[in-house]
Amino acid sequence: MRFGDYITIALRNIRRQKLRSALTVFAVVIGATSVTIMLAAVFSLKGFMTNQFEANGTFQQVAVSPQTDITWNDHNNGGNNCQDCTHLTDDLAAKIGAVQHVMGVARQTQVGQFQALQYGTQKLRTQEIIAYDANNVIKTTVLAGRDIASADTTGVLTVSSDYADKLGFKHNYQALIGKQVQLLAQGYYSGVGVDALQQFKDQNAWFSAHPGADGRDYQPTPVALTGKIVGITDASNQSYVIRVPLDWARGMEESQNAQVTQADQDAAQAKCRNQRTPGNCNTQPVPSTVTVTDELAKQGYSSFVVKVDESSNAAAVAKTIRNTYKVGAADAETDIKQQLSIFNILGLVLGGIGGIALVVAAVGVVNTMVMSILERTREIGVMRAVGARRGTVSALFTFEAALLGFFGGVIGLLIGYAAVLIANPIINKQLSGNNITGSNIITLPIWLILGVVGLTTFIGILAGLYPARRAAHLDPVEALHYE
Amino acid sequence: MPTVIELKNLTKTYHLGDEVLNALDGVDCTIDSGEFVAITGPSGSGKSTLANIIGGLDKPTTGTVVIDGTDLSRVSDRELSDYRNRHIGFVFQSFNLQGTQTALENVMLPLVFSRMKPKERKARAGACLEAVGLGDRLQHKPSQLSGGQRQRVAIARALAVKPSIILADEPTGNLDSARGVEIMKLLGDLNKQGITLIVITHDMSIAKQAGRVIQIKDGKMARG
Repeated sequence: MRFGDYITIALRNIRRQKLRSALTVFAVVIGATSVTIMLAAVFSLKGFMTNQFEANGTFQQVAVSPQTDITWNDHNNGGNNCQDCTHLTDDLAAKIGAVQHVMGVARQTQVGQFQALQYGTQKLRTQEIIAYDANNVIKTTVLAGRDIASADTTGVLTVSSDYADKLGFKHNYQALIGKQVQLLAQGYYSGVGVDALQQFKDQNAWFSAHPGADGRDYQPTPVALTGKIVGITDASNQSYVIRVPLDWARGMEESQNAQVTQADQDAAQAKCRNQRTPGNCNTQPVPSTVTVTDELAKQGYSSFVVKVDESSNAAAVAKTIRNTYKVGAADAETDIKQQLSIFNILGLVLGGIGGIALVVAAVGVVNTMVMSILERTREIGVMRAVGARRGTVSALFTFEAALLGFFGGVIGLLIGYAAVLIANPIINKQLSGNNITGSNIITLPIWLILGVVGLTTFIGILAGLYPARRAAHLDPVEALHYE
Repeated sequence: MPTVIELKNLTKTYHLGDEVLNALDGVDCTIDSGEFVAITGPSGSGKSTLANIIGGLDKPTTGTVVIDGTDLSRVSDRELSDYRNRHIGFVFQSFNLQGTQTALENVMLPLVFSRMKPKERKARAGACLEAVGLGDRLQHKPSQLSGGQRQRVAIARALAVKPSIILADEPTGNLDSARGVEIMKLLGDLNKQGITLIVITHDMSIAKQAGRVIQIKDGKMARG
């Protein structure tokens, strides 16, 4: 029999029992549609996220964090000064920079002592001010102006676009570039910009004016640092970010203490000795010098971001750093792959549900074919009498079942495609609403299209095997007289 | 005339539970090319079994069926199917046409299995329907045709592959006598054109038209 005849005859037989064929195909369609939608969604999302991370260079990064041994004893001895902690110092950064495959190390810190960003009369609450090496290890998307450069030391900052939006520069970021803003420090701030000696005097003056007052009521004059906005950064990865040069952050983290020296004490004593009523004399020494402690150098940075030459080396580098320097080190890939593996499981589960639907559909195909063969027993007898071989009869019915599966797969794909067409604009809206670049992220890859149609066709063939065998092995003499 | 069918010591045994039924019990017979043979006998005599074995639809339990030099009792299903396709034209009492298909499509069916090209198939089937007097009924479905016309379609289908043997099992059984006469005349004409005609019947008036009558009784030949 010619191949064309198989198609003609199988199609004719499917058409002959329109309702039954349609219902059988419908079951396959349900399975195929669910498999299509679920797999397309899961794998597209996974691919999208992987691409996002790859585009950011995240897979080439290793995040290093100080290892803090927070057992109860250490905590009791004063959490910050625990002896087992490995501080992320400049020295350690240099050592890590020398590790094989490491391309660069960005030291990163967060300054928490500022409560507000002031522009003109507008005040916006600040969370943390971040600072890291401008060595391109951590990439930033700049929407207007420029990023913090390695030549910057103090007095410049970038803000993320949501700050700019709040300040009323929503579609006009460029206009904010070069503008002066103030960073308002909290009360206990003792970093750069503070006149520690003056502060001491003010405090003394306040206590003299308020004898017996609670020290907590004392409000030092707020310190404001002035800086110029040089760039507006993209807020899609992190919102409300203020970035300053690392040098400036170092200054902000400093602690300045007015220091009373022996000379100061002698001076206070000497002053009173010359008084007529020494008892009333204020022997409180007035400090004359200020000691500055570089807290960043002492406490270490909050984290390092290490750039590795190839993303494939990231895991090994992370391990080396962990083992050699006793700090926390994690590569994004291991971490993200672990997070993304949820998609594999999701895909399996959802695909499995579709698979079950397909198994049910296969049972439907078997049922339809068995019924069809019963009804067509005489016809099979005639076909055999006029020269159809067993193999021909078998192939004919297998082909018919395969065609049911094929149609189910094609229709299921079309419905799945329609669902993708509907879903993509909705997802696009969500993405752009969250400032994430990416559109039409759910795709139907060719392997999925071929896979789904192939699978349903294969299921049709499997489902057709038994009925076809039964048809082929009918005794022609009995079949011809079947009532 | 050369011998076309040679049956030697044919037996066919059916097992119905514990009972053993000898449908054929040692049949020996030869039929020459171009002969018109009637096989008669009462119901259950084994005449249909004999026809089925000659037609290659069934195989004997023992004995040989040599047709055109080939022993059908020894060949595979594949060869047997091809033999039916090329050499045998079946005509059944109940016509066995496919109700959903036109007369033309019914006649084309054997040609589908002989892998004839669709165009040639159509031409050949059309010619066969013309030959049985249904040239104007090609697109009619069996339900739109009378009993006699249906049997003519069946005969056209038997003719389609240019068979050397036509096996007709009670071809007039479902027809009134006038239509029966017409059908027997048509079959007789085909026999005159050289096709070996074997008619299974219990109607003596039909058997009389044959050149030779083989009578089967209890699986044995009574007269030959």
